Amino acid sequence: MIQRRLWPVLVVVALAVAGCSTSSRGGSGPAGSPTSRTVGGDITIWVDSVRLPAAQAYAKAHPNVHANIVTFDGDGNGATTLQTKIQLWNRTGKGWPDVIFSEQVNDPVWMAQKPFDFAAPVKDLIPAELLSQWPAPSTAQCTINGTQYCVQDNLAQVVLWVNKKLMDQFGYTVPTTWQQWAALGDKVAREHPGYIVGNIGDSFSHWIYLWGNQCPLQQLRGSTLLINPADAHCTRAASMLDPLVQNGTVPPLSVFTPDFAKKYGGAEDKILLMPGPAWYAQALFDQTLHIPAKQITAAAPLQWESETPVTTGQVGGGPWIISRHSTNLATAADFVIWATTVYNPTGSESRPGYPAYAPLATTWLKAQATNPYFAADPTPALQGAASQIWSGWNLVTFPDQPVWSNTVVTQLVAGKSLSSLLGPLGNALAQAAQAAGYAVTQQ
Amino acid sequence: MRATRNRGTRGGPGPLFLAPYLPFLLVFGVLPMIYAVGLAFTDGAGGWAGFRNFTRTTGDYRFLPAFRHILLYTSVWLGLLVVLVVGLALLLHGRANRVSATFRFLFYIPGALAGASSVLVWLFMLDPSVSPGSFLLRHVLGSELFVQSIAPGKLPFIFAMIAFWTGAGGWIVVMYGALNTIPQDLEEAARIDGAGPVTIALRLKLPLLRKWIAYMAILSFATGTQLFVEPQLVNQASLGLVPDTWSSNQLAYQMAFRYGDFNAAAAISVDLLAIGLVAAVVIVTRTGLFRADD
Repeated sequence: MIQRRLWPVLVVVALAVAGCSTSSRGGSGPAGSPTSRTVGGDITIWVDSVRLPAAQAYAKAHPNVHANIVTFDGDGNGATTLQTKIQLWNRTGKGWPDVIFSEQVNDPVWMAQKPFDFAAPVKDLIPAELLSQWPAPSTAQCTINGTQYCVQDNLAQVVLWVNKKLMDQFGYTVPTTWQQWAALGDKVAREHPGYIVGNIGDSFSHWIYLWGNQCPLQQLRGSTLLINPADAHCTRAASMLDPLVQNGTVPPLSVFTPDFAKKYGGAEDKILLMPGPAWYAQALFDQTLHIPAKQITAAAPLQWESETPVTTGQVGGGPWIISRHSTNLATAADFVIWATTVYNPTGSESRPGYPAYAPLATTWLKAQATNPYFAADPTPALQGAASQIWSGWNLVTFPDQPVWSNTVVTQLVAGKSLSSLLGPLGNALAQAAQAAGYAVTQQ
Repeated sequence: MRATRNRGTRGGPGPLFLAPYLPFLLVFGVLPMIYAVGLAFTDGAGGWAGFRNFTRTTGDYRFLPAFRHILLYTSVWLGLLVVLVVGLALLLHGRANRVSATFRFLFYIPGALAGASSVLVWLFMLDPSVSPGSFLLRHVLGSELFVQSIAPGKLPFIFAMIAFWTGAGGWIVVMYGALNTIPQDLEEAARIDGAGPVTIALRLKLPLLRKWIAYMAILSFATGTQLFVEPQLVNQASLGLVPDTWSSNQLAYQMAFRYGDFNAAAAISVDLLAIGLVAAVVIVTRTGLFRADD
């Protein structure tokens, strides 16, 4: 029978902790001498599966470094793996990895604060001339209470992914505004049922449609969090999406489910358009949905009517965080610098995401421009969108993805409209925010 | 009564069998429980907190939904378990030996698959695009997609079904064993008095099984209210569609390891302990589980 009793485990852990927390906190780590300045020795790196090749390549290129690489879920989709792990390491006073990559861009926010206190400030670890090469909005996302605690691996700006082959075949023009996009969705439903112009079933779909459209669901005003789902930016986006969810051109399915791949992927793919982040090309279209080469390209983020400036959302842009408990900070920093500013393989092994470090982005874009996978050069759209991420959506200590998933996505699947779910979403976000210690305001 | 006392004082192999279990019971069962009770009534600094941890956790917005979920789940699962396990055991006991052995083996197999891995298998079973029972999912559950299989309203029933098939086999074997302890002459006497198989099952075997059923109900009630593995794995597999605080034990886990609030976690654990104890006392007194002269 399944062992469901958790509390004994929980308490045993706590007991063990009580026994050793006094003795081993701040003890010597694997490198021997605390904060050694030379690169080498043991480091422990926690990465998601996508960043695994980078960590392995570093270990291969640095024989004097013994890298202990651990893969985990990457804290993806709003998981709280790292919070629970760091709580445990803090309690036992040992076991912290030296470097962590997280898929959740907001993780450094809580890692830099009590009770976690995990992240080390990067200022003294990464040279200033390198740090200055990250775009300002990226640095801002890693800066918590005035101190920078992480560097982003990649930028995850949302663009409009286009299946050029299908669009040409159907004789459609690529939309430039959300209104044209919605009108096309309506047309596709009538002329080519079964084809889609987007999807809304992912744990991050609200970052694509609501963040990009300036819906204030997560806006910090001092220490107060503004959550206002009644704002016109939210309601108008919802009313635009509702008929499309209804007519099947924006299904409430996650792109990473077998159901989605079966219905819309493969050689007979049915994805006409899809607003989504920069890393979709390789990670989703090529490797997950197996859409053949010479079909996909990117277009600029959609504009709301004629409103300027055009803003877009962000999905991911995972950060590298160095542990303040590391006893081998020099090697930890060396690895992070290498992974973000040097590691840039070509061909099928190339980085899936748009590198955040600007000089690397330039060489990466050059390679993508001639990447045979694309039907047309996607780089102008990617580059343009990089600076358009709306800054009114702030990073907070709690994950909002599960809230979106279990309040909205499950109900969209059940046939409810997004417009009717904005209120419950706002309430659920407010509850999560209050549980995390935020003061919440609706106005 | 004398017989019982004699059995209790006699040396024999009993304590020998018990000895290896005792240290584990103490270290992983009794001590943690005492420690949890201690934590539940103190604050982070170790000071006396009275019932503050309890009122604080009860007021949490996830507390009531979580307890509602496990209440519904436990009722469905326990109902299934009592009716079907006893029913199947009685049916098997009436069959020829080989048929019965085959079916006991078949029922037992799903439970032999270790805990979490059987839940993983169920994740595939619930996905209509890969499930061997996809026609059942479509026609009984009405789900064309995995997300529809795990829709919020269906979850208590889905979890009850998973738990039933991973745990029922063991209990069927136990019940079958219990049925074998019924003296053959009792059954024969009933048959001579003109009782058919149904009457024998319902009027003779079932009352004699009462204590075993009570025993199963107590243990299952405790494990039922402490549901953790199924919702936790489904939470991860569904990419967060199912909340990570679906059951009260998950909420305790989140309290401890996400918010670092071990006192609140302990308070929820003690709530569960209290519920389990109350249920056990009710079942024991109602069924006379420990009455020796029965």
